[in-house]
This record gives sequence, C-alpha cells and structure tokens, in this order.
Amino acid sequence: MLYFSFTLLVIAILLTACVNEEKVKYTRYFTDGAQLYKTNCQNCHGANGDGLAQLIPPLTDTSFLRKNRSQLACIVTYGIADTIKINGQTYNFKMPANTNLVPIDLAKLLTYVTNSFGNKQGLYDVSEIENHLKKCR
Amino acid sequence: MTFKQKIFFVLTICAVFVSCSSSNKKLPIYGEREAIKKMINGVEVVDTLYQTIPKFSFLNQDSVVINNDSLNNKIYVADFFFTSCPSICPIMKKQMLRVYEKFKGNTEVKFLSHTIDPKHDSIPVLKNFSNKLGVNSMQWYFLFGDKETVYNLAKTAYMSTSYEDKAAPGGIVHSGYFLLVDKNKRIRGAYDGTNEGQVNQLIDDMQVLLNEYQTK
Ligand code: HEC
Repeated sequence: MLYFSFTLLVIAILLTACVNEEKVKYTRYFTDGAQLYKTNCQNCHGANGDGLAQLIPPLTDTSFLRKNRSQLACIVTYGIADTIKINGQTYNFKMPANTNLVPIDLAKLLTYVTNSFGNKQGLYDVSEIENHLKKCR
Repeated sequence: MTFKQKIFFVLTICAVFVSCSSSNKKLPIYGEREAIKKMINGVEVVDTLYQTIPKFSFLNQDSVVINNDSLNNKIYVADFFFTSCPSICPIMKKQMLRVYEKFKGNTEVKFLSHTIDPKHDSIPVLKNFSNKLGVNSMQWYFLFGDKETVYNLAKTAYMSTSYEDKAAPGGIVHSGYFLLVDKNKRIRGAYDGTNEGQVNQLIDDMQVLLNEYQTK
C-alpha cells in the first residue's frame, strides 16, 4: 500500500512537471511570438489583427486559420499573392515573403497568431513547422 | 469638500471656461519667409511672403488632372507612399483613413496621396487601391506623376524626404509624414503618420485651421 501511494505520488509529480513544462513552453512561445508579430506583421495586419479595409485581410477568421494550419508557415515564409476569402470578403493583394524567419521564429510567431485575435489552437511546435515547410506549394 | 475647496473648484472651472472661450488658437506657418515691401494706397508697408507649395499637375486614380487650382479654397493633407510598400505605408493608410472618416463629405477638405513608385503604381493600380480602401475619389486623390517631379515636390515643397534606397524594405524610403496645407497653400503642420497621437493632433489642428476661415 505504501509502495502504491508512493508510485502514485511520483507519477503525479512527473505529470504536473510535464504539463507545466508544456505550459511554460507555450507561454514563452506566445510572448516571443508577440514580439515577432510586432516587428514583422503588425504594420500590415494591425495590433488587433484587424487588417486594413479590403487591402489586407484580418487574422480574425478562426476557421480559415484552422483549415489552413498546415499552410501558415508557407504563407509567412514565402508570402502570398492569391485570391483568398477571409470572413466572407475577397482579398487579392500581395503579402511579401519573410525569409528571414527561421523555424523556431515561425513556431513562436504562429503560436501567437493562432492563439490571439479570437483564435485558440494551442502550441505550434518546431517539428510541426519543419514538416509543413517541406510541403510548401 | 470644505468651503475653501469649493471656492477653489469653482474658480478652476471659471478659469477653464475663460481660457477656452478666449483662445483664438492659430496654427504656426512653416517654411521660409521673407519680408517684402509693397505700396498700399501710397504708403509703404512691410508684408511677409510665406513659402507656398509650388504649382504642380498630376493625374488622379480617375485620370482626372489635379493641380493647384483644383485645391483652391480647400485645406488638404498630403502624404507620399506606394501601394506595394511593406513597411510603414499600411499604418499610414490606416491612420489617414481615420482622418478621412472624421472629415468625410466636408467639401473644404481634401486628401492627396502621391505615389513615389509610378513604375508599379499605374493609374489602374491606384484606382484599385483606392477602391479597396473604400474611399471617395472626389475627396481623396491618389496622384500619379513623373517620379522626378514627385521627388522634387517632396523635397522642396514638403520638406519631407523621399529618396530611393535599394536596401530599405520595398526599395524606397520615405518620411511617413502627413503635411497639412492651408487654403493659401502654406504648410501649417507636419505629423508622423505612423503615430496615433500625432495623427489625433492633426485631426484637432484641421478643425482649428477650418475655424480660421469661419466668417466672424
Ligand atoms: C506588407 C503587408 C503585410 C505584411 C508585413 C504581412 N502581411 Fe500577411 N497578408 C498581407 C496581405 C495583403 C494578405 C492577403 C494576400 C492575398 O490576398 O493573397 C496577407 C495574408 C495573410 C494570411 C492569410 C490570410 C489571413 O488573413 O488569415 C496570414 C495568416 C498572414 N497574412 C499572416 C501574416 C504574418 C504572421 C505576418 C508577419 C510575419 C504577415 N502576415 C505580414 C499583407 C501583409
């Protein structure tokens, strides 16, 4: 019985440590990401992710960002000049490339973007980013 | 509140009222100036000649010629930009849009955005840009002109520098200033178009400037 409770205690401690580690990582990514957003994206997409008229789309379309989660790293790295529909509105301007951002920056940045402006997607890991980047169109 | 405090309170309110009602606030006049002598009714008087915006003529997004005369009896806000600018232009346009919304429909107020990249920003590009921004082409002109002329206007008339720099994002650096011009084509204010506080000041100053022309 003593053994049993001891094991349970150890497991519990390990679990909390794990969860905390995830949480700490998320918080760190989110905070660093906010800074990266400010320097690289805010000029265009705005401090509240609300974009600019019909020129620059907002980042508030949660379903677009969810559906295109695997495309976001590519969009940010290589820019985009498509016709896209955001919040029911068509956009066809051009977003420039950000080739200066490395995968860890992208992970932080996208953790911030996909958990702000009404989005709630959780952590972006570097490995996920690297995977997505391999499949850019 | 003690009696003393009450008195003080009332006095403060009075002071505020007096200072507000008696303030005939005027904006400064920027640029070079020279004193000139002229004869009025046989008497020699000294007058001040202020620097004004030199004559210009550009095409707007509707291919309509816009020149000095188009702006007679108007106050206007001018800036320099280009549609593909990745750095400060979107912020400037967002701020300018805020000013535009405040004075939308006011026939005394115009907006001039000069492109400094005529190679890319053709008239159809400017038209599309202005449509997407959702502004009225009768009040906000997106002006297309020869690069040399626009750069010179920026440098000499508006004091804001816009010159090419291949190293800067977008290839062209520019000052990001909004210039407020009065009905006599004199510059009355310069505001950082990326700074919300300064743009608020511009909105206030435009009202002050318009008040100068109210017939008393
Ligand atoms: C020069 C202005 C500009 C900058 C800087 C910019 N974007 Fe964009 N962004 C755009 C435009 C314009 C589009 C739409 C492009 C189109 O219509 O094909 C866009 C589209 C997007 C989209 C997809 C559509 C949407 O609204 O969800 C995402 C995501 C995005 N940008 C994220 C970013 C991030 C993150 C950064 C910072 C690294 C950034 N952008 C920097 C202008 C910009």
